[in-house]
Amino acid sequence: MSNIPDPPRRAISLDTFAVALALVLALLVRLNLLPPIKW
Amino acid sequence: MTSIAITPVRPVTLVSRIAALFPGILLLAVVGYAGKFIEQSINAYTKAHHTPFPNIEFVLWAIVIGLLIANIVGIPRIFQPGVATYDFWLKAGIVLLGSRFLLGDVLHLGGISLFLVAIAITLSLTFMHLLGRAFKLKPKLTSLLAVGSSICGVSAIIAAKPAIEADDEDASYAIAAILALGAISLFTFPLIGHSLHLSDKAYGLWAGLAVDNTAEATAAGALYSDAAGKVAVLAKTTRNALIGFIVLGYALYWSSRGEAKAVGNKVSFLWSKFPKFVLGFLLISLLATLGFFAKPQLASLANLSRWAFLLTFAGVGLRTSLRELGKQGWRPFAVGAIGEVFIALLTLGLVYGADHYLHL
Repeated sequence: MSNIPDPPRRAISLDTFAVALALVLALLVRLNLLPPIKW
Repeated sequence: MTSIAITPVRPVTLVSRIAALFPGILLLAVVGYAGKFIEQSINAYTKAHHTPFPNIEFVLWAIVIGLLIANIVGIPRIFQPGVATYDFWLKAGIVLLGSRFLLGDVLHLGGISLFLVAIAITLSLTFMHLLGRAFKLKPKLTSLLAVGSSICGVSAIIAAKPAIEADDEDASYAIAAILALGAISLFTFPLIGHSLHLSDKAYGLWAGLAVDNTAEATAAGALYSDAAGKVAVLAKTTRNALIGFIVLGYALYWSSRGEAKAVGNKVSFLWSKFPKFVLGFLLISLLATLGFFAKPQLASLANLSRWAFLLTFAGVGLRTSLRELGKQGWRPFAVGAIGEVFIALLTLGLVYGADHYLHL
């Protein structure tokens, strides 16, 4: 049974990209750089 | 019914990797929009002709069209990388949905959810292990089925697999069983909810507590009503937030038995397993509560979230292969199915109790 000191550094997770995209979209909406989004 | 085997495509550069996603994303958009188009067309027809017909949400149409394509035609290889992004759109959609919650509501409903999740997880993990023993499943397969059905489906299984050193076969059995059961609950939960006349909040809480995968829980909530969909996402997000603690518990258990590596830094372990979109959801909710967005901007963010979910729901149908079901062993499926029924009944009881005593 070996001891793992720390998880190895990995590439940025999908979650992080999704959060980044959502925050960028929210900022664009806040700055009125996107037209009103309709459904 | 299981995840469609996606043959890895290995483009060389980042640009070509991103370009490889476009056909599949376009397919998600076409399938999702077709669902929305059918819903609107039926509504327009029934309104014009004064024909009584129940409103069937685009969610169901998108999933059914996806299922038909995946199981009759199959998904050509060129579409597969893009179709697999449905989970990415789900996470982005959940973060944007934060704009529809005031932080106070998140804390109120999230607190109730957390309390119920803690009870449900403890009881369901215990039940799943007893069931696994009764069906003579391998202990690690039982552990994977238990985390999958008690916490958050496929993500929990993927997070737990390396931590407890389960083998690939066990993980694929557990994932197949959880996906199959998720697809079944997608169609049964709204029917049961309507027959019990559950309120939007009670139903949303139930779907968020009982349906395994985040995509299916979101869809099961949205199939009931928009308000129920919101609550289902919040309850499911609370459940997802606990994934790290449960996986850590299992990793410590299996390492104490000498059947998995010891965990080093526990804080770092917890952070690596923590779903980061939960933080994004809370941040957007906080900004909305502080009045950072004007009312029309909040409406835009809510609609962006709906578009992201439209891609997700198309992906739920497209990634489900009914043909694969027969190839899986019946015992993992049986354990998962019995466990799911137990969890559904348990959480329904908890929701009734919460509705009565905690005033949802």
